[in-house]
Amino acid sequence: MDNIRVQGITQVDPKTLGILWTDGKKSALDVVMLRRKCPCAACIDEWSHEPRLKPEDVKDTVRPVKIESVGLYALTIHFNDGHRTGIYTFKYLRDLGPLA
Amino acid sequence: MGIMEFRNRIAERLSSKVVPQQAVSLDEKTVLDALRVVQDPDLHKDIVTLGFVRNIKISAEAHSPEAGHKVSHEAGHKVSHEAGHQVSLEVNLTTPACPVKEQLKAQCEAALMALPGVTSTKVTMTASTRGSLPLNSGSPVAASLGQVKNIIAVASGKGGVGKSTTAVNLAWSLAKSGSKVGLLDADIYGPSIPLMTHLKDGATASGSLIEPPKVDGVKIISVGMFGQSGKATIMRGPMAAGVIKQFLSQVAWGELDYLIIDYPPGTGDIQLTISQTAPVTGAVIVTTPQEVALIDVRKAISMFETLKVPVLGVVETMSHFICDGCDKKHFIFREGGGARVAREHGVAFLGEIPMDQGLVEASDHGKPYVASHPKSPVAAAFAKVAGAVASQVSILHAENKNVLQHFSIEWAN
Repeated sequence: MDNIRVQGITQVDPKTLGILWTDGKKSALDVVMLRRKCPCAACIDEWSHEPRLKPEDVKDTVRPVKIESVGLYALTIHFNDGHRTGIYTFKYLRDLGPLA
Repeated sequence: MGIMEFRNRIAERLSSKVVPQQAVSLDEKTVLDALRVVQDPDLHKDIVTLGFVRNIKISAEAHSPEAGHKVSHEAGHKVSHEAGHQVSLEVNLTTPACPVKEQLKAQCEAALMALPGVTSTKVTMTASTRGSLPLNSGSPVAASLGQVKNIIAVASGKGGVGKSTTAVNLAWSLAKSGSKVGLLDADIYGPSIPLMTHLKDGATASGSLIEPPKVDGVKIISVGMFGQSGKATIMRGPMAAGVIKQFLSQVAWGELDYLIIDYPPGTGDIQLTISQTAPVTGAVIVTTPQEVALIDVRKAISMFETLKVPVLGVVETMSHFICDGCDKKHFIFREGGGARVAREHGVAFLGEIPMDQGLVEASDHGKPYVASHPKSPVAAAFAKVAGAVASQVSILHAENKNVLQHFSIEWAN
């Protein structure tokens, strides 16, 4: 993972985020899953690492509004439920879903 | 590449031509083909493939008694059998601080002179620094950093290793080679750049932006310019982060080849803020050679790896002290620690700076040592570090071609 970076980011369909990595592999990530796996301090306890957000707190209809890069190492997603504090590192995203 | 190997490659190339020598017509293609033997040692490609060669001009040159007198074909003069050609061209490097500039020039001249019919050459070495920050037009730092080509972080795991001294002398060395350089002192709690550069002018307003003052052509901004001297800047994290964000978004940095950011020591809040606010091109890690310092270097490298800021390499300071009585090198903080930690992490070792009383005095008196003692071994060491940093940045750009660095997409529902 050390030298693997992002080559492209696309919206695959209304609820799938596609990432093309520099090693040619692809991730297809469900946006509702991404909202439920939000790594921010409000969703995951900073000390215990226990999830504070319960899966049922997130509706299946949640969608991104905008996706932006953070520095060179991560991206952030503005969701239409108003949540926008999660910084998803590329390493985290790479480990989240199966690679194609 | 050794000179013997280089000669052999030219010879090989010439002997592979089937056509008799006098039939080879000298045109741009012949010249370019000949120059393919010249390799950039950092980018591992030849200078033709890299697109460095420009403005090729081939003019006829007569060997008349008046040496150097040129006769053009158009003028209708008869060109004698002994008449040769002058080839003039420009080699445009990726940075004015290129450490192998002279070597490449000599290799180009040798390759051209080896061509049949060439009697003189004129190779001009120029440079335009490659790079551009990946910014969207809507980015909050676009107005401030839009024309900056590269941002270089100078960081260390712990304080007191000579990080600011390195940042200042690196900035001055790059500027001396002809680069446009800015220096941002991000050491909020212990800003030392104003003292080290004898910065007296304050910042001025320029529209909605702050215009940074210049010292010896280097644009400088430091939190030390805004507070009262001698008074501590007492700020909580969010306030300090706010100041740093202002330095990155409200300063008219203008057109720069390199913006050097002198980081606060350690791996904390400010370092994170900078990396999240601006797309830092790469980081230079400064350390002294002893093991206790190296522990913190490993942390600094790991922080930049997490933030996906490429580590350009390690600079070792206070490497040794040359005794003025016996000329012996004394390795006060042990030997070779910087090189070892660089090797461990697979990053470049950018060079070592010896201990020198004059360097300390120069810093305290506000004159960067590379400017006050340009011929000293320390200045040479900093020039070498600057060349190595510039090379690493060029290598990075060559490797990063298909990396998506900055993006913003609207989700279509």
